[in-house]
Amino acid sequence: MPETTPQMVRLTIDGMTVKVPKGTLVIEAARRLGVMIPHFCYHPKLKPDANCRMCLVEVEKMPKLQTACSTPVDEGMSVRTATSVVNDAHRSVLEFILANHPLDCPVCDQGGKCDLQDFSHQYTATSRFVETKRIFQKEYFSPLIETQMNRCVQCLRCVRYCDEVMDVKALAPVGRGTMTEIKHFGVHPLNCEFCGGCVQICPVGAITSRLSMYEYRPWMLKRADTICGYCGDGCQMTVQTKEQELIEVNSAHGAGRNNGDLCARGFFGFHAASHPDRLTHPLIRRNGTLVQTTWEEALEYVAGRVSELQKLHGGESFGGLISGRCTNEELYVFQKFMRMAIGTNHIDSSARYGHVNGLHAMRLVQGTHRWTVTFDDILEADVLLLVGTNITQTNPITGLKVKEAVKKRRATLITIESLEPVMDTMSNIANLAHHHFRIPPSEMQNGILGLVKAIIEEHLIPEDITQRYPTYVTAVTTALQQLSWHDLSRATGIESDAFIQAAKVLAAGRRVIVLTGQVLLRSERGYTGSLTLLDLLILTGKLDQPGCGFAPLAEENNDQGAVEMGAVTEFLPGVFPVDDAANRERFMKQWNGKLPPTVGASLIDMLNRAKAGSLKAMFIVGENPVASLPASVRAEDSLRNLDFLVCQELFLTETAALAHVVLPAASSMEKTGTFTNTEGHVQTVRPSIDPIGESRPDWEVFAALFILLGMPMEYAESKDILKEIRSVISGYGLLGPTPLPPKVDRTVLDRYLAEGHHPDLATRYRLVAPHPRPDGTLQLEMAQSLFHSGKLSTRSKGLLQLEGGGRLRINPVDAARFALMDGDRVRLASTSGEMTTEIKIMERVPQGTAWFPDHFGQAAVGLFECAIDPRTHVPSFLTATVSMMKVA
Amino acid sequence: MLKDKYGKEIEDILSRYPVKRSALIPLLYVAQRDQGYVTESAMQEIAALLRLTPPQVYETITFYTMFNLKPVGRFHLQVCKSLMCALVGSDTVLEWINAKLGIAPGETTADGLFSLSVVECLAACGTGPMMMINDDYYEQLTEDKLDRILSDLRSTGTSSLKTGPFMWPEPTPAERAREA
Amino acid sequence: MPQHELILLKNMMQPGYTGSLVDYEKTGGYQALRKTLGKIAPADVTAMVRKSGLRGRGGAGFPTGVKWGFLPKDYQGPRYLCCNADESEPGTFKDRQLMERDPHQVLEGIVLSCYAIGAETAFIYIRGEMVLGAKILEHAIAEARAAGYIGKNILGTGIHADVWVHRGAGAYICGEETALLESLEGKRGLPRIKPPFPATHGLYNKPTVVNNVETLANVPHIMNRGPEWFAAIGSPPKSTGTRVFCVSGHVKRPGNYEVPMGITIRELVYEHAGGMRSDKPLKAIIPGGASAPFFTPAHLDVKLDFEHVALAGSMLGSGGVTVMEEGTSMVWAALRLMEFFYHESCGKCSPCREGSSWLVQTLRRILAKRGHMEDLETLLDLCKNIAGRTVCAFGDAEVAPIQSTLKYWRQEYVDLIHEAEAVNLIKLEPAGRH
Ligand SMILES: Cc1cc2nc3c(=O)[nH]c(=O)nc-3n(C[C@H](O)[C@H](O)[C@H](O)COP(=O)(O)O)c2cc1C
Ligand code: SF4
Ligand code: FES
Repeated sequence: MPETTPQMVRLTIDGMTVKVPKGTLVIEAARRLGVMIPHFCYHPKLKPDANCRMCLVEVEKMPKLQTACSTPVDEGMSVRTATSVVNDAHRSVLEFILANHPLDCPVCDQGGKCDLQDFSHQYTATSRFVETKRIFQKEYFSPLIETQMNRCVQCLRCVRYCDEVMDVKALAPVGRGTMTEIKHFGVHPLNCEFCGGCVQICPVGAITSRLSMYEYRPWMLKRADTICGYCGDGCQMTVQTKEQELIEVNSAHGAGRNNGDLCARGFFGFHAASHPDRLTHPLIRRNGTLVQTTWEEALEYVAGRVSELQKLHGGESFGGLISGRCTNEELYVFQKFMRMAIGTNHIDSSARYGHVNGLHAMRLVQGTHRWTVTFDDILEADVLLLVGTNITQTNPITGLKVKEAVKKRRATLITIESLEPVMDTMSNIANLAHHHFRIPPSEMQNGILGLVKAIIEEHLIPEDITQRYPTYVTAVTTALQQLSWHDLSRATGIESDAFIQAAKVLAAGRRVIVLTGQVLLRSERGYTGSLTLLDLLILTGKLDQPGCGFAPLAEENNDQGAVEMGAVTEFLPGVFPVDDAANRERFMKQWNGKLPPTVGASLIDMLNRAKAGSLKAMFIVGENPVASLPASVRAEDSLRNLDFLVCQELFLTETAALAHVVLPAASSMEKTGTFTNTEGHVQTVRPSIDPIGESRPDWEVFAALFILLGMPMEYAESKDILKEIRSVISGYGLLGPTPLPPKVDRTVLDRYLAEGHHPDLATRYRLVAPHPRPDGTLQLEMAQSLFHSGKLSTRSKGLLQLEGGGRLRINPVDAARFALMDGDRVRLASTSGEMTTEIKIMERVPQGTAWFPDHFGQAAVGLFECAIDPRTHVPSFLTATVSMMKVA
Repeated sequence: MLKDKYGKEIEDILSRYPVKRSALIPLLYVAQRDQGYVTESAMQEIAALLRLTPPQVYETITFYTMFNLKPVGRFHLQVCKSLMCALVGSDTVLEWINAKLGIAPGETTADGLFSLSVVECLAACGTGPMMMINDDYYEQLTEDKLDRILSDLRSTGTSSLKTGPFMWPEPTPAERAREA
Repeated sequence: MPQHELILLKNMMQPGYTGSLVDYEKTGGYQALRKTLGKIAPADVTAMVRKSGLRGRGGAGFPTGVKWGFLPKDYQGPRYLCCNADESEPGTFKDRQLMERDPHQVLEGIVLSCYAIGAETAFIYIRGEMVLGAKILEHAIAEARAAGYIGKNILGTGIHADVWVHRGAGAYICGEETALLESLEGKRGLPRIKPPFPATHGLYNKPTVVNNVETLANVPHIMNRGPEWFAAIGSPPKSTGTRVFCVSGHVKRPGNYEVPMGITIRELVYEHAGGMRSDKPLKAIIPGGASAPFFTPAHLDVKLDFEHVALAGSMLGSGGVTVMEEGTSMVWAALRLMEFFYHESCGKCSPCREGSSWLVQTLRRILAKRGHMEDLETLLDLCKNIAGRTVCAFGDAEVAPIQSTLKYWRQEYVDLIHEAEAVNLIKLEPAGRH
């Protein structure tokens, strides 16, 4: 909430009066009146460059025509956009722009959505140009992006977007004058984040997508506005299809929480749904092999086996695991099915892999399960602290908000990241940081402790906090006393002064937001680290201040929804504890049945029970524990031990291959529903194609099973489920275009400050001893790559072209130490296993560390041990100490 | 690596500017001096030194005419063809060069000694026709002078006919006396 | 030759003057600095420069003291002075002489100006091709630094002014002040949108003054001899002081001539530059560099000061005076200049970028006898559509040669076109038809 209302200015445009905030550009003021001033180089996301000169208008008292895109309004200004002088000017500029244009509209993919075409039509522009047009040699640009520089109007929107918005700076206007050409570097193909921004922002057909080259004219396409299924940012995108074929994805300026920006996954990753390996029919295991069957037979078989096993072993012999990429409706029906139809609380979802760590911490300290801030608050923040986010790669669009806050709005950025601040082909958030603490993932906690210590020792705690919560402040102070700067500096390699400087910035900030991501949340200290970050906000007096808050980033697109829908063992829908008597009563009444009496088991616990034989059957929806969990967990053995395994999947994964029944599921491109993004915004998912083959949305499967098990539910469509969700969680997803975040619950906070902090405090304020790493070893990290996310990206042909397999990223210094070059093969070995892979040298990887991309990690998972957080039951397995050897 | 060879000079350059990127053109000159043109690896090294991306270096370098991205001859003849020099015969100078060296603008002699370019005004309009060879100006060119320059360059690598600190017209003794 | 006092070229005219620090000090060099630093308040220095009537010698002729006065008064952070030594305007070669022959005069002007505007750093942006000039300046800076005229705590006054030479790399547009700043920041030399002006958002977004070499070289003399003295020279009140005119083209003695503003073109050409080089009469004059519209012999008595040249339809610009004799093709001359502008257009604004290539191609076609009468209207129309529609003044400049030659020598264009038509006619009649 801006505290001062901006000063308003009144002006007239073509005789109409309009009042706009001071500093508004004439072109925007005109837009408010419905007056469209033609332009090429202007874009609301970019700083005005005024290079195309198309937007000339008359401004009273100014002798020359002015560019509406760069002229700010003034009180009493009078602008005219429709005089014959202005019209002639527009026409003449258009004539210049057309002079060197090849006019090859028939073979241009921009045809029908091209600004140049539209303006030419509007001004019935012709050109007197009879000279020779410039011709650029066609040069190879990239496998996914086509350039046709003869069409370029040199507005530089692509270049400016790449720099100003993305901070990637991969595009270069090369040469001077008419022969200026947009290139990458030298003769090299483009190598960048592949956000598709240049394709989207080019007003003409100079930069287009190769994935859809020559396939369509815009008017042939059907469009559906939906939400991207790749990560927790929840970007709105428009999927364009021709018959059943996925042609293109884009996102309109202003659309969704992403404001029209996308990342490579959103822009180029849409082909996963139409991958030829999609499951199209139900499969049933006969004589040891999976064979095709009908839905009727499959469902009846499932219902029959369920009844049998229920009778034999009771509902509690069942477990269920669901993916956080299902819709809220599916997650809701799933947990209701497991709890009410089967009678078990053994339920879990992919949120268990880390997201619940942040949520549990928020619940304990501030009584919310959602952020108390939104993306808009990130833009408005004056201090941002990022801890273990690797945000460019994991949550690229939240990353854009951070970049905008820092670059355009001058927020101060503090980062505790396992990143070397170097420039390379991808943006690196550490490059924008004013205070950067490079700390390995397993020791991130030490960085947080340094900041808390500095806050206390520099007396940066506000007076009223010390007075109101003396026990808490004393407890933290005492706990920190046993931690010396000497030890901390030795462990982190960072001097106390650096922490003090950053702490001062944090304390002085008015709108302070702490973002944390997978690198912390999925680690062994995901939960305690989150608590400590919340402590930091309390101690600086920020936690309950407007515009301040703690924001753990969700990995899967609907991890947040999974918890809110009750698809985790400890919570009922609405995040009510499953053992809370009042709510149990309420749900049993509303659901008209009995909830299982005992608290259930979470993911690893379920697998252990399966191995031990007490869990007999499982429903697994869209999850692949066999490949996701480290080999040491032995998920495969556990699942093989089950009497009955049902999988609902898009593809025959390692896990599905073990099932007794495999049901083909529809992807999010094929169904209706809602997703809840990382900031708690509930957004509508709409189908762009029909379900592939006989696949069905997961909720339909459970609705059918409900009937077969004798508990018919009235779900004719996904909307009916949402209606029911709203009846148990009032107002769910009714939040309008901008989500209203919850506020810190004072009573919960007071309880935390009085006694809630006790159990963890001593342990979490202890220094994390650096991993003793023998010489010749590296710390291996599973890291998320920008080009992959969720469980489908490796089936997308576009993304596979960008990154087709796993290569181990190491620092050049380490490469030199091990005498390795790009592409060399190495063998890695840990106490748990070994693997061979190729290496890729990357300067941003800190020395002594090696990253392996999560999505090609099947081979790598063997190297990791798994630790379970005793409070949140999160399995963590992202780091391992490995030795490395070159192999031939 | 430039850093190994010109470490001190590079540090010196960097120390002048409050914002690193300002050192880009000066560093490109260092690179060009080293190889006669700016190599791709030099661009990458300079990018890293200044915390720029290679495309940022590339876009800048290609805006300016004085950087070579490809090797040029040992002596780079750059003849001004702008109006003021053309009024006093720069086109003829190009013809002479073509006759003597067999190269047209954009070409290099087979022995790699001479490259020829035409350039726009070099601020020597009162003393045209003129050309620049590597770092030096040669003005008021005549055919005879050109012959001597070329033979000097061939034999000694430089020529005394190059212009020193510029002043034109040189004052007459009477004028000097008056000022003294 | 009329007698008048030289100001800027005076030292270098002396026998044996080398431009070294010793020589400069012998002629009274750095006295202005001693008199001014710490003794006259910076605001008063600015006031004196304003009072002298000194106007920019780089092209636009903006009053220097007024420009300095635009800097924010209460701004605490760094400010910069940029000495514009890009001298790339065809026909101009005076700054080169000032820097190579009497560098300390320029440096003293720079330090005084830094003092006046509160800048502690100055950059001399010198065009890349002037390698010798850059070396001479660097040597002079080293001398001055050693003598305590430049650097930290100048002459013990507690005032700092560091001066650095920064070489450009071949781009005419970098003479435009905002393009110069971009270039100095290590970027492509593209002019910035104004406002904001460099006075508030200049180098590194800090308050900045950009001044031409000759402008700055005048400052020590103003401080030494008082603004009133300066204001009385030349063509007061609006064009005070002398100008170093660069005469080129078909004259006997081309070169730099420092004369009081307000002498006529005739005096400059016939008395100083020795008149025409042959018996061919004078045909055309460019009075202020390539960007200034052409004059005809009818303009010989126009006074060379800001107002009179402007009144007569051209501009005093950078002081480059180019003389052309009878027999010079004006279409060709316009093309040569147009080729320059085409080569140097930075490419930012579409009218300038596309227009320059279009104009060049059309002129070439006319000159190659493939023109049409409609081309003349198109040329004028394109000029009209470029001028005043671009970010910087380059757009106005590039159309000057065509507009003015078409105005005064239209017949030359028409003749070429008629020849073209004749050629076409011959071609169009197949042999053996009659
Ligand atoms: C296209 C263009 C080129 C210019 N080139 C130069 C130049 O080479 N040298 C110069 O001093 N001013 C040049 N100027 C003028 C500068 O923009 C600026 O007005 C001048 O440096 C200010 O200094 P002054 O007030 O001392 O003249 C040029 C202007 C334009 C529009
Ligand atoms: S490629 Fe497109 S967006 Fe980029 S400058 Fe050219 S026309 Fe503009
Ligand atoms: S015209 Fe040749 S140096 Fe100026």
